[in-house]
Amino acid sequence: MLNSSRTSTRQRALLSAVALAAIAPLALSSCSAGGGDNGASGGAAEQNTRTTLTYATGDAEPECLDPHVGGNYPQALIGSQFLENLVSRDKDGKIIPWLASSWSVAKDGKSWEITLKDGVKFTDGTALNWEAVKANVEHLQNPKTGSSTGYLAFAKIKSVEKVSENVAKVNMSAPDSALLESFSQPWNAIQSPTALKRSQEENCAAPVGTGPFMVKSWTKQDRVVLTRNENYTSAPADAQKQSGPATLTQIDWRFIPDSATRYAALQSGEVDVLDNAQPDNIKAASAASGIEELDAPRPGASNRLELNSGQAPFNDQKVREAFIRSVDVDAAVNSLFMGTTKRSTSALSSVEPAHQDQADSYPFDLEAANKLLDEAGWVKGKDGIREKDGKKLTVRFPVSTNQSIPAEQSLFEQLQAGAKQAGFDVKISLLDLPSWYEALGKNEYELVSAPYTKVGPDVLRILFHSSGIKPAPSGYFANHAQINDPALDKLLDQASATVDDEAKRTELYKQAQQIIAQKQVILPLYDQQNHYLLRSGVKGLRALPTVSTPSFLDVQALPAK
Amino acid sequence: MSTGHGANAVMTKPGSGRAATHRKSWWVAVAVRLMGAVIALWLVATLAFVVLQALPGGPAEAALGGPGSQASAEALQAAREQYGLDRPVLVQYGHFLGQLMQGDLGTSYSQKKPVADVMGPLLAPTLTLAVWALLAAWVLALMTAMVATGSSRVAARLASALELVASVLPGFWLAAVLIIVFATQLGWFPPVSTGTARGLVLPVLALAIPLAGYLSQTMREGMLNALASPYALAARTRGESPWGLRVRHALRHGLVPGINLSGWAFGYLISGAVVIETVFARPGLGRALLTAVTGRDVPLVLGVTLASALGYVLVTIAADALVRLVDRRAA
Amino acid sequence: MSQNPTFDAAGPGPLPHGRVAGGNGGAGHGISRILRRIATAALALCAALILLAALWPQLLAPADPLAINPSSAFRTPGGEHLFGTDESGRDLYTRVVHGARSSVLIGVASTLIGVGLGAVLGLITGLGGRLLDAAGSRLVDAMLAFPTLLLALLLIAVRGPGIATVIVAVGLSSAPGYARLLRSEVRRASRSGHVEAARMLGKSPARIVAVHILPGAVGPLLAVATLGVGQAIVWASALGYLGLGAPPPAPEWGAMLNAGRTYIGSGWWMTVFPGLAIVAVGIVVTLLGRRLSARWAGRGAA
Repeated sequence: MLNSSRTSTRQRALLSAVALAAIAPLALSSCSAGGGDNGASGGAAEQNTRTTLTYATGDAEPECLDPHVGGNYPQALIGSQFLENLVSRDKDGKIIPWLASSWSVAKDGKSWEITLKDGVKFTDGTALNWEAVKANVEHLQNPKTGSSTGYLAFAKIKSVEKVSENVAKVNMSAPDSALLESFSQPWNAIQSPTALKRSQEENCAAPVGTGPFMVKSWTKQDRVVLTRNENYTSAPADAQKQSGPATLTQIDWRFIPDSATRYAALQSGEVDVLDNAQPDNIKAASAASGIEELDAPRPGASNRLELNSGQAPFNDQKVREAFIRSVDVDAAVNSLFMGTTKRSTSALSSVEPAHQDQADSYPFDLEAANKLLDEAGWVKGKDGIREKDGKKLTVRFPVSTNQSIPAEQSLFEQLQAGAKQAGFDVKISLLDLPSWYEALGKNEYELVSAPYTKVGPDVLRILFHSSGIKPAPSGYFANHAQINDPALDKLLDQASATVDDEAKRTELYKQAQQIIAQKQVILPLYDQQNHYLLRSGVKGLRALPTVSTPSFLDVQALPAK
Repeated sequence: MSTGHGANAVMTKPGSGRAATHRKSWWVAVAVRLMGAVIALWLVATLAFVVLQALPGGPAEAALGGPGSQASAEALQAAREQYGLDRPVLVQYGHFLGQLMQGDLGTSYSQKKPVADVMGPLLAPTLTLAVWALLAAWVLALMTAMVATGSSRVAARLASALELVASVLPGFWLAAVLIIVFATQLGWFPPVSTGTARGLVLPVLALAIPLAGYLSQTMREGMLNALASPYALAARTRGESPWGLRVRHALRHGLVPGINLSGWAFGYLISGAVVIETVFARPGLGRALLTAVTGRDVPLVLGVTLASALGYVLVTIAADALVRLVDRRAA
Repeated sequence: MSQNPTFDAAGPGPLPHGRVAGGNGGAGHGISRILRRIATAALALCAALILLAALWPQLLAPADPLAINPSSAFRTPGGEHLFGTDESGRDLYTRVVHGARSSVLIGVASTLIGVGLGAVLGLITGLGGRLLDAAGSRLVDAMLAFPTLLLALLLIAVRGPGIATVIVAVGLSSAPGYARLLRSEVRRASRSGHVEAARMLGKSPARIVAVHILPGAVGPLLAVATLGVGQAIVWASALGYLGLGAPPPAPEWGAMLNAGRTYIGSGWWMTVFPGLAIVAVGIVVTLLGRRLSARWAGRGAA
């Protein structure tokens, strides 16, 4: 050969190396972090004895597993597996015993006595007693914890005292009819006081509670492994299993953000239950055999559009009415959600007993919309957008991609197109969460959709009381509609103080909703969507009626892999 | 004969024997290269730091339970002091550089842990994905380039078209198609990462195929060029087989430009990993980057940026060494 | 062989000058030449169609891309709707055609920014002294080492999403590649002696650049730039896919793919057709780039 033999040997070596590299390590497992296949333990013999369930969540991975820190729904989802509350709620909205066996409130509403269940221990051995309640309240109220949701819920608690070892007295700075509802939320769950004394980093990694499961390990971006609490004794009053530990021994809680991937994993059997099911997956599942749906709308407010009545153009009631009449929400909901949810015309979620449907306040009437805008002095320009005093009818609509599912974003686009027919120029901007909060904090919005999950109708006070317009130091405020109505404030304050008459309280909230509807500051869309899809063999799954998180305590059986 | 990359002259020192000069200048070259790398890294750190200062949404809120937090004014101020956010920007920058030189990447705002601890467990999965994708891309590219420069006109045209289409496929689109076809319809591979080799196949393919398209095109050009040279013609007349000609002679000239693409390929893999990791639910630095940016976790963003830049620099240095190996003549 | 590998490693895409490019080499005769002519004509036609779609989409698709019609959502392709309809009943064919505008705009504008910035950097480092060269090269290295997606994410986080931000982000990240190209062009031209001579004659740098460097650089630059346009379009669609591009309801291909991914169970056409559009533009642009570089090969090459 006339070629240099050294060169050709080198080339051969290179080629062989590449070929080897290609073939050989397909046998090597990837060294990616992860708990590995949970079906690894066995084949056909596993048929009906599988006790590890794989759950796939589409919600963001929490930064901290302790729901006292911050306080969002993903934390509630997983937190309710290992943390429990003093009380729960049943399907009809009634408060029922959980860690507390009974309670009473003073006549003036300024103190509550809560009796705890006997013999309950946290998984680290600490006993559940009045001190635990005190420690948890203080943890939530401590600024260093950085609680958002739980902190707001406990805003009126002054102190916690001992009545006896198992009885705590909660002193209030003002009566709060929603206190027990607050105590039922996962963001106000009871953790072991011993565990709370640890550094926040430690407690974020593995909070200690009384729940049917406990945190074994957390592999970031992959999964949290929960193992069974063998000494579980504190089932809520409406659970099927009133004694003894769960049947499942382990839950693999996986983070799978992409909805199509999540559903594909359910179909292939990699996953047994998933949440945040999208409408077309739900529809496909109902046609498919082997997959079932659990529809559990979240409590608190409904998903609604809020119109910023604090500045032009929506400070004019006529313009607000016109906008509401220019958009066909029913058509959008029906087509985009494919029959998986109903249109809501209430400010409250349909699972709230105090909710009131107000279909008459939110009609679709394009003609009326145009007429109202003409009356208000807005004239249609050449491009179809209305103008007045040289200003265009621009409606800024920041949308948080974290909080709006794709179907909802498409819905907003449809509303945008509908409003254009009446002459509104709706500008949608897709923002990430911090940018979205910034836009709201700077008052740079005319429309916004901000879900708020809370147990009970007290959410109306948070969202529509005029005190909600005042921003927190971080710039955040909850009353996005910026409604400031003394009559409404009075009703909400009264309802908050009505601690002993549930019927009267409900009536007050209904009157409040009337005012909100009259003011035309919101456009209700639908309940906060919360659909679970599960393989048919999963028996016994239910959603806790508190914030509709899944409860695996009663799960009896799992399908074969 | 062009070797496929910019032909800049080597600055050798005059005088002293050729071999000694060559060795000395090689060390000088290495030293200069390393200095250059360090400076580039410093520039990257500075650029990132500057851009991150302009981020809306205060980091203090990020450190205290996220945006929309109910943190009191005192708590926010305390957080600012803790992270040194109330000091002038230049001081913060100096502090940042000082920490960096000690190997300290700071503390993640959102996870309250050292950035290195946050990135550590995520490094292996991303590297696994990237390395496998690179290998797969090379294998695919080599096979396609060989066929594209071969004797069968039809096969060559087909391979050419294939590499062209592959190079313009958007990665996220490819990922979706792969999942539909191979996971949902055929069920051959799982649609999410399972920690096993099977779970690696689809993500690797989604990343590798567009890269293979680019590599293959580049290699083909280099090989064709070599095949058209007088040297190759002479070899043909001597009876060299088409296969032998390609492997022994042209391949070297195809490999070199391909290897020179390594730096760019690394950048592509890192960017592509963000989407692929999200779609296939794989843990990794790409996903961490996305959440860090949207969560305004500045130290973590800086950490991932620096790690990525470091990787790029290392890859290009390694690629250059490899090119010298393959293309002895030019060294 | 360079002593500066990080600076000289080529970016993606075509050809260092001086080589015969494209196809299977050689000038064919007879049928092969006719086929080549047909192929060229087809390529030109596709490119013209794409430009037409970008500039006057109404000619190719007269309907309104924003017209929603919830009752005809998810119609399959065929009949009245060539590509079917999306989740809001909008005609997909119309949206794909109108989507060419933002994609082409982003592709061209960001490439212009990249070439402009890159040319400045490349000329400075190529013509300047050793210090300027070293400093400029380090800057180019740093820009190359900065991951593109991260740059885009950061810019978008700072300035908010939108076409302008995407253009700037993609343009900035493509600049170093062009800087390198220009630098090696300058070097090459310098070696030819013309530049030295012009310098000694006292000609101004601007004149040197214009007369001796640019003519030779235009060819390879054009070839790389056409490929850059295709790349920029894919990048833009990636950002649109992440929800960071043009705001809704703009018919942007990446955003359409994003929606298509969500509704994959209800309409495969929502994923297939926008994806095909991106691929088609990429193919056309790449082939154009190859042709251009083939035309300029040999001209000005050392």
